[in-house]
Amino acid sequence: MAVDVRQEGRIVTIFDGVSLRLEAGEIVDLVGPSGSGKTTLLRVLARLHSRKAGTLLLRGVSDNDIDPISWRLTVLLVPQKPVTVPGTVRDNLLLPWTLKARAGKAKPSDDELAQLLAFVKLDDVGLARDSNQLSVGQVARVALCRSFLTRPDVLLLDEVDAALDAESADAVAAVVARLARDGTACVRVRHRPPDGLATRRLRLAAGVLSEEAL
Amino acid sequence: MGTMAGGVTSIGSGELVIAALLMLAVGFASYRMKLGMAKDIVASTIRLFLQLLALGFVLRWVFGNQTWWLVLLILLFMIASAAQIASTRVTKAPSGLEPAMFLSLFITGLTMTLAVTGLILRVQPWYGARVVIPIAGMILGNSMSAMAVALDRLFADMDSRVDEILALTALGATALEAAQPSIRSSIRAGLIPTLASMAAAGVVSIPGMMTGQILAGADPFGAAKYQIVVLLMISASTTVCNMLAVRLTYRKRFAPEGFFIEAGMRDPEEGRRRGFWRRFGKRSNSEA
Repeated sequence: MAVDVRQEGRIVTIFDGVSLRLEAGEIVDLVGPSGSGKTTLLRVLARLHSRKAGTLLLRGVSDNDIDPISWRLTVLLVPQKPVTVPGTVRDNLLLPWTLKARAGKAKPSDDELAQLLAFVKLDDVGLARDSNQLSVGQVARVALCRSFLTRPDVLLLDEVDAALDAESADAVAAVVARLARDGTACVRVRHRPPDGLATRRLRLAAGVLSEEAL
Repeated sequence: MGTMAGGVTSIGSGELVIAALLMLAVGFASYRMKLGMAKDIVASTIRLFLQLLALGFVLRWVFGNQTWWLVLLILLFMIASAAQIASTRVTKAPSGLEPAMFLSLFITGLTMTLAVTGLILRVQPWYGARVVIPIAGMILGNSMSAMAVALDRLFADMDSRVDEILALTALGATALEAAQPSIRSSIRAGLIPTLASMAAAGVVSIPGMMTGQILAGADPFGAAKYQIVVLLMISASTTVCNMLAVRLTYRKRFAPEGFFIEAGMRDPEEGRRRGFWRRFGKRSNSEA
């Protein structure tokens, strides 16, 4: 696949001929110098960025045959900057079910939400807490829990643990491990030292994606 | 010289000259305070005279020779001018908004004008230029300003919500769902000035139209009722026009696949190509 981006107004091809394959349940760490296009690659995979050439296949079905919204329900990007919308923690966790794409689908119960919060060590933050009272680390964990609850087939994490303290980063890792056990393929852009979860490591540098020893 | 008729002074050319002398005060201020605006003051004063006297002349002719197609043609010209002026006022927006602005003003201008003149003022014939053209002018002028505010707000607000929009689209939101909070805040922003002027009317300010009617000798109570209709009509028109304009344009900031086109993905030349009047303005600036 090939992708163009704009840098200082000029169009630059950041990578060309990049290809990768993800298996269910694996956790792939994506590393490489900043500016090499890791974020762009994740966005392309979630169809949140244009590409010049290349095809995406999901279980053998071409992206031409899947509408972008259905694609994103299955291939879920968790962006680098976590955000909450105005409302309570519960509102934020149930945000995906307020969208037309999931209208009428069963949403998680308060019990499930509370259990998940406890799992990421947010038990002291109630479901009724106003989202703008949360710290950066708490927002990141709420945003990840929100993605976790939608049970995607592919989860793309863009440095979600970058700004976190060790405890929050461990909680994030635990959530990822749990999803992978249930069959979700996870790709993590990370700058932290390896945490032993990854099954593979890929390096993106100077437009080339290569497999690296763990 | 002016003549008195029913307590109303009609203005002759002598009175106009006296009024023009008022601008000497402005010129004196510019000279004493070194504002460097002498050229602008003279040019603006001359333009004011030429434009309004020409308008009066044209309207007098139109009122005397009105036909339904001539009135509609004038409305169309007013709508196109309003769309053009609005497009130069919207900065930081994607290019190619003009057709949507024209369409919003066209639909609002025609339906609201004909609704007010036909159903409330019951003008005979329906194209009676003496009423239809000033009413359309008020509707279009206010809708144009409100639309420029609303569109500016829409695109600025979406830019400030770039992270939230990405998070929402990543979760499967449609472009409309991701843009919705910005759409709401832009329509709110466009409505605030109108509601404020409704609240101030009669307490803080005597609205311009009512002032004009009273000066021209009309009964103040009748003028008040007229002004109420006008203010209600303006708030309805600005709201309808903003809703149309915002709904017709928000999608321009989203790619066909439904993701938001962030600042870094845009053509840096965007917006510079826009607007005949802007180009015209630039040229005259460089000559000065």
